[in-house]
Amino acid sequence: MNDKSKVAVRDLTVKDKFSFARFLVQWEMILIYILIAINVYLMVMRPGLYFAPGTIQSIIQSGMDLSPLVLGMIFVLMLGDIDVSVASIMILAAMATGLSMDAGIPVVPAVLLGIIVGALCGAFNGILVAYCSMPAVIVTISTQMLFRGIVQVILDVNVLSNFPTFYNALAWTNIAYVPISLLVFLALGVVFIIVLHKSAFGRKLYMIGNNPVATQYSGINVKAVKLQVFVIMGMMAGIASIFFVGRMGGGVSSTMGIGLELNAIAICVLGGISTNGGRGKAYGPIISTLIMAFLIYTLGLLNVEANSRVIMTGFILIIAVLIRNLNKEILAEIKLRLLYQSNKNIEALNNKTAENIGNLKVLIGETKKDGKLSTTDKAEKIKKYESQIVGLKEKCKQQTKAMKQQQK
Amino acid sequence: MGNYILELKDVVKTFGGVTALDGVHFHLKKGEIHALMGENGAGKSTFIKVITGVHQPDSGVMLIEGEEKSFRSTNESAKVGIAAIYQHVTSFPDLSVTENIFMGQEIKNKVGLYNWKLMTQKANELISSLSSEIDVSKPMGTLSVAKQQLVEIAKALSRDANILIMDEPTASLTRTECEQLYRITERLRDEGVSIIFITHKFEDMYRLATKVTVLRDAQYIGCWDVDKISNQKLIAEMVGRELSQMYPPKTAKPGDILLEVNHISKEGYFKNVSFDVRKGEIVALTGLVGAGRTEVVQSLFGIMRPDSGSIRLEGKEINVKSSMEALRHGIGLLPEDRQMEGLINELPIYQNVSSAAMYKFNKGALLQQEEEIKNAIALCQKIQLKAKDISMPPSSLSGGNQQKVVFAKLLSCDLKVLILDEPTKGIDVGAKYSIYEIMNELAERGYGIIMVSSEMPEVLGMADRIVVMRSGRVTAEFETTGTTQEMILEASLKQKEEERAS
Amino acid sequence: MTKEKTTFLSLLKRLPHMRNFGLIMAFIALLIVAAIITPAMYSWNSIINMLQNNAVFGLLSMGVMFVILTGGIDLSIASTLGLSGVITTSLMSENMNVPAIVWVLLGIGVGIFCGAFNGFLVGYLKMVPMIATLGTMYIFRGFAFLASGGDWWFPHQFSDGYVNMAIGRFLGIPNIIWFFVIILILSAIFLGYTAYGRRIYAVGTNKESARIAGIKQERIILLAFTLCGALSGLAGMLFTANYAICNHAIGTGFEMTAIAICILGGVSITGGRGKVDGVVIAFLMMSVITYFISLLPGLSVWQSAIQGGIIIIAVLINVFTIRSSEKRVLKERGALI
Repeated sequence: MNDKSKVAVRDLTVKDKFSFARFLVQWEMILIYILIAINVYLMVMRPGLYFAPGTIQSIIQSGMDLSPLVLGMIFVLMLGDIDVSVASIMILAAMATGLSMDAGIPVVPAVLLGIIVGALCGAFNGILVAYCSMPAVIVTISTQMLFRGIVQVILDVNVLSNFPTFYNALAWTNIAYVPISLLVFLALGVVFIIVLHKSAFGRKLYMIGNNPVATQYSGINVKAVKLQVFVIMGMMAGIASIFFVGRMGGGVSSTMGIGLELNAIAICVLGGISTNGGRGKAYGPIISTLIMAFLIYTLGLLNVEANSRVIMTGFILIIAVLIRNLNKEILAEIKLRLLYQSNKNIEALNNKTAENIGNLKVLIGETKKDGKLSTTDKAEKIKKYESQIVGLKEKCKQQTKAMKQQQK
Repeated sequence: MGNYILELKDVVKTFGGVTALDGVHFHLKKGEIHALMGENGAGKSTFIKVITGVHQPDSGVMLIEGEEKSFRSTNESAKVGIAAIYQHVTSFPDLSVTENIFMGQEIKNKVGLYNWKLMTQKANELISSLSSEIDVSKPMGTLSVAKQQLVEIAKALSRDANILIMDEPTASLTRTECEQLYRITERLRDEGVSIIFITHKFEDMYRLATKVTVLRDAQYIGCWDVDKISNQKLIAEMVGRELSQMYPPKTAKPGDILLEVNHISKEGYFKNVSFDVRKGEIVALTGLVGAGRTEVVQSLFGIMRPDSGSIRLEGKEINVKSSMEALRHGIGLLPEDRQMEGLINELPIYQNVSSAAMYKFNKGALLQQEEEIKNAIALCQKIQLKAKDISMPPSSLSGGNQQKVVFAKLLSCDLKVLILDEPTKGIDVGAKYSIYEIMNELAERGYGIIMVSSEMPEVLGMADRIVVMRSGRVTAEFETTGTTQEMILEASLKQKEEERAS
Repeated sequence: MTKEKTTFLSLLKRLPHMRNFGLIMAFIALLIVAAIITPAMYSWNSIINMLQNNAVFGLLSMGVMFVILTGGIDLSIASTLGLSGVITTSLMSENMNVPAIVWVLLGIGVGIFCGAFNGFLVGYLKMVPMIATLGTMYIFRGFAFLASGGDWWFPHQFSDGYVNMAIGRFLGIPNIIWFFVIILILSAIFLGYTAYGRRIYAVGTNKESARIAGIKQERIILLAFTLCGALSGLAGMLFTANYAICNHAIGTGFEMTAIAICILGGVSITGGRGKVDGVVIAFLMMSVITYFISLLPGLSVWQSAIQGGIIIIAVLINVFTIRSSEKRVLKERGALI
């Protein structure tokens, strides 16, 4: 084994070629099927309405108000953190823009100011989470109260209504039958996809989400990355204020947008982002933003009242997570309970047998490919292995039976 | 055969392809201290877990007082009087000592409520026979490891255990604490408790045990009377071959001084540590677990920051504030715990390999995955990684090959100094050899290598120079030629004798 | 060593090291400030009034404390409160003559059902508590709307017995406060003196050790969530009785305040640490702050900003005391080297 010349250079190239079948059943594709299914349903049930001019556009527009929050939330969840203060940041940013417009500041600096306020709020969260090692849930629950509290203090019961006119245009108009808000959302989405999947920054997010300690040992400044992500989230909340205020018809009061953060999180989870961090793709939440818009609209058509539509949101969230959670561990647990009567000895025996059979099957596969053997030799060898498999199975069955009886 | 309280015959246990126990036998008499020895990864820990019912054997028989038993949980083994004190103390750090002792067998009053008063009183009685310095009302997490172990012993006593399993209890104890533990263990034996004492210190075995069973590479090697087996023979049995065969021949010649560590200190961890490394040289940093070796190398790598002292690389003083800077200066660390610190098991091998040097693959704002893959394949082929392909997750690999992935990660950076913290921990013998080959080849290519290791044969077989640490200080430095295990052991225990005298 | 006599002096020396010391000091400071600015606060009636209106938060934070102790979190408590409130109110308004205790039990029953559902998702299906309860938060609130049919209930639709469950007085103190006090005592006994209560801590402090000790975690988690649900359900019934008003949206956002009280009271969000007394002090403190602010003209808008700020500061102080005690341990160890 020490003779280097004998060791052939191993072929390590990526052997998994693109598989169309696997492409079709991945989570993001399933989301697309759901989206199509809802559309088909609408088309068939309400053809008149569905094909009426402006219907689809207004459905999409109705779901875009929180879309920038979704994008930012992808990054935060990717780290394994969470940010429930985003709706409050959004309103704070909107207030900053509105107040500066009132004060006569020109449109561009006023809008930028809103986004900067968002970024500062995000930085505040980020510093507490990354550099003071406080849990993100706690930090953002409190800053949620804090930021909204600031809005309440400043606005009290007043309503700000002096906002740039492009806010309304963004939320309500189309270019060539395509809603502007959708175009902007998709453009932002492409940026997020590229950053997450094609850049070093995105790779760092996956690394931190899966194993922050090992990431640090790879020479990456975990704290700085966390801070950056929260700042990005804050900026996206600032941008979301444009979408949101536009949808609200250009008015802002201190009680608006409560609970929007939870919608954004739900959309991300439905989109396949794991809340434990490090898993999921950016495409998913973008598709599920649209799914949510269509779903809520469809439920509205079915006379499901707005307040009870949230039941759907809740079930979707739970079922989406459960499906993705259904991993080996839980299956093994269920198997242990049902099949093996909670007897770990039986479980161990069956697992061992399954493993031995697996190994034998691999051997069979290798024999089949082996070019050096003659066909008769092959057949003989395979036969031998197969008889071994049968023997193992039989033995396992008998032992299992014996153990179960013993347990009784 | 009836005089055995515990007997295991031909026990086999595998974990998804890795055999942890392969036909192990064991006999324990009543009132006997039986040492169980073997190298790291020999299967000792799995062995206890099988006895206590944490794991279930795939096959084999276990007899308790001549009666066949199989446990499905620790509760069942506890009922027949088996108690274990695990290597990593498995306590509830936020709960009080009293509660830790009585967890699962609390004393209740007539209404079914806890009788804290009586429990505290009993806990005090149990503890005071072992140590006079433990406040039973304090949370477990505030005690030292040695004291936590005493609490675990008290817990076992409170359950009237007649078989007590102790998994490397002396690994992180000071000399005086060890003595105390020895006395308590002997007293328990005299009271009729049968004890399985797992250790890899010969001292423990000679001091306490009458019998010794050796495991190696998951296999049963043999059982001897302690006074009838020589030290040499025992080592040979544990290691499995003559030392000279274990290590590849060295080819590198040490060159100029590469890294100098001058009097670095970190409060609470180490003091005044100095040593240097030359190009192409392997320096071993050894000593007992808890001597501060890991903390020293973490300080060189920027995970910790020393309070004082200086580090010079190629004659220039450097200030390493983070792992990022360490890598930029050319210092890389292969961490001790490869699962927690070395690998990101969910990402493909090639992404792990390039993770420390992503800047190399940046083109504009984008990462060039093709380049990453090409680079990773080249590196991994060089160190003969056995994997299906480079896009598999590291979790699909064996321990030795996982370690090679971490090596490849370091090699993808432009390094001068390689720090390897227990590079062969938990790796089987064959894979160890190829890790050693890699180390020698790297030394030949001019890397300066610092190897932290607790395994003395490895230290003597691989290093050019040996630095020994004890309780946060360097106590000796040897050229490897002419150094013996006894000399290293003496240096790693040296000051403890003084401590005892004082 | 433990038999050492607790003299007044030793007590005084130990005082600053006690967990709740800082909290109590802050509370006292707050009381003094309040006494100077709004002396009106210190009438018997004001205090009773304050406790009466905040008792619901006390119940909710007591409930969510069980869950946080296991290392989880429950965001659905306010929705459970809403669902329970709507169900009991709507049934009561049609069955005015049924004894009110039935509605209390029904409220608790609804809560148990909701809590058990959460506990099943988290304990047996291994969902992340935050996400599972985020989902059920929507679901329960939606069901509250369905059950209400969008209706509102006003004082004249409430039976006297029902309302008296909250505002009726026993020994001059409103029943809702009695409910809170009894729950408090039961919780303290449960957490301190029963096997299941202590298992909640055990699961929260170290899941691996709990497994080795043979504790059935799934069951403990289910229990914690169920208790949390039961208290939220009770809170829902009492909330509607206290104000004699009900719709599907009652209590929206209360979960944040309840969780905030727990954190302020020293319950560790990672589980295993926290006691009833700390939560009670934090509850009193939050109540005083809310009430104090409401008495100051023009300051009521500050409420949520102040609450948010307080929690951040409390957790920050916590983080820094842990850091400094770690440093002290290192220093002690350093002396041995």
